[in-house]
Amino acid sequence: MKKHIKSVISLTAICAVVSLLLAVTNYVTDPIIKKQESDAVGKALTVVLPNGEDFQTVELTEYKLPETVIEAYSEKNGGYVFKMTTTGYASGLVILCGIDADGKVAGATCIASNETNKAETEYGKNVVNATLDSIDKVDTVGGSTKTTTAYRNAVKDALNSFVILNGGSVDLRSEEEILADNLKTALPDADEFTPIFITEDMEGIKDIYSANNGAGFVFVTKDKFIATDLQGNVLTETEQEIKTKVSSAAQKQIGVTLTEIDITKYPDMPTTVEKAYKTSTGNFVLELRAAGFGIRGDEWYGPSGEYIKIKVSVTSGGKIITCKTVSQKESDGIGSACKEPAFYTQFNGKEESNYADIDAISGATITTNGYKTAISKVFEAVKILKGEN
Amino acid sequence: MTKNSNMSVLLKGLLLENPVFVLILGTCPTLATTTTLIGAIGMGLAATAVLICSNAVISLLRKVIPESVRIPCYIVIIAGFVTVVQMFIHAYLPTLYELLGVYLALITVNCIILGRAEMFASKNSVGKSVLDGIGMGLGFTLALVSIALIREVFGAGTFFGMEIPVLSNFKIEFLTKAPGGFLVYGIMIAAVSKITKGKAPYKKEFSCANCPSASFCGKQNCEERKGN
Repeated sequence: MKKHIKSVISLTAICAVVSLLLAVTNYVTDPIIKKQESDAVGKALTVVLPNGEDFQTVELTEYKLPETVIEAYSEKNGGYVFKMTTTGYASGLVILCGIDADGKVAGATCIASNETNKAETEYGKNVVNATLDSIDKVDTVGGSTKTTTAYRNAVKDALNSFVILNGGSVDLRSEEEILADNLKTALPDADEFTPIFITEDMEGIKDIYSANNGAGFVFVTKDKFIATDLQGNVLTETEQEIKTKVSSAAQKQIGVTLTEIDITKYPDMPTTVEKAYKTSTGNFVLELRAAGFGIRGDEWYGPSGEYIKIKVSVTSGGKIITCKTVSQKESDGIGSACKEPAFYTQFNGKEESNYADIDAISGATITTNGYKTAISKVFEAVKILKGEN
Repeated sequence: MTKNSNMSVLLKGLLLENPVFVLILGTCPTLATTTTLIGAIGMGLAATAVLICSNAVISLLRKVIPESVRIPCYIVIIAGFVTVVQMFIHAYLPTLYELLGVYLALITVNCIILGRAEMFASKNSVGKSVLDGIGMGLGFTLALVSIALIREVFGAGTFFGMEIPVLSNFKIEFLTKAPGGFLVYGIMIAAVSKITKGKAPYKKEFSCANCPSASFCGKQNCEERKGN
């Protein structure tokens, strides 16, 4: 028994002395190791924030930052460096972005990626000096749209985080979430909305949404969401001028019916027109097919194997009211940009004389030209349908 | 020079009882850290420091530590010194710390250190144990450096990281890989065995009581195997 006790005491005593020795060593070396690690991190961080000094890690749990931001460092002069991980063409795109005290991007670099075309290695230069207001205007790189868009969005997240860390607040909702929230605020009785394809020429109305539960409509003007009931009576309190505008738009659009036209009766109808309808107000709605990257002439090329499907409403006078891409299978990240409203809404309000004055999709000339050709046939089709040809 | 004279204790680790080439201990760090001379010297000196300190403390406490818990006590002491050395290297030689990586912490389980604690420090005076630690540590360092010299110069075509003209164009990269390490190691063991005329491995100090193979060996002591 005595032997066992002696063993326990000896081992315990040795452990205690060794622990004390380790504690003393740690006390001496820990500050030096910490300083070294901070210097090493600082050296890496000065690549994107050259004037940064004395970097300190920011505890992210105290703030609600965009999800892509995984690390943040503050520095003495008021600048920050953020590390973001995002997904471009593949996951694992890691960006380091330095933002100076004025809220401008001082530098950005990609520190890890699995992208295929390596556009991310050079793209950092493009976002230097961008601010929260100008970051969306930085061009993406044609042929690497997915990668560079993800990169740009990550830098935007860094700029948003900079505002949040400085005590400001930013809207971190996606565009879809903002739209859904705005619609719900305008018409609280409705939960879900369906966009209405506008067939009537009306001033100052961008979009119209119909409540799925029949609660009414929401008209979107340049910056307002105005609700009406099913009869078009304006429910939202706003200026009289806007009320009149929305009321007039509602009277025009609500209750419009479409009648399909048998296009086989028109032998000269361009082949790009697949279906045609006449509205009860005398306008036309055309369903078009455009030959994009997948088809040239009568032969199929490339990966697509499918036309771009477009829906257009046009006045009998030949002015496009609404243009929308219904479906497409163009090259992902390149020609697929034709599905974005930023591209197809460019044709809204265009006529035969100026339809071609639009910005082409960067890196997708064939898609853009195919789309334009299909739109060019709209004016011819309207003339045929009116019996002018 | 008598067998147990201080000088003999100090020098035996260098060649006759070299821990790497003769006792075949510490093979893992030997192969892992001998791709560069800097790594070899760093590992050798770090292990030497731990050896000297642990030998001294274990010898000092040899009459206090009960027989039944001696191995845990040795391990605690050795692990303590390894951690101290590791912290100091991390603080003052960060490049070496990065270079040695996990092998620095693994000095704790280096057979040479536990082996010397069990075979020598627990039976000898503090002075002799320190000398044994120095001798064995330098022997370990010498062994690492001699292997690293061949692997770095002929394998990578560099000397302490500096490119050697001509040789860098004819480097044998195989030597920097694990099989190359084994090959050089084996040749070095053979060379040392030749120099010591095969006497070295059968020293009486490998007492059968502490030998893990004693139960099935059937011999009275290792010298009986001489000439097998």
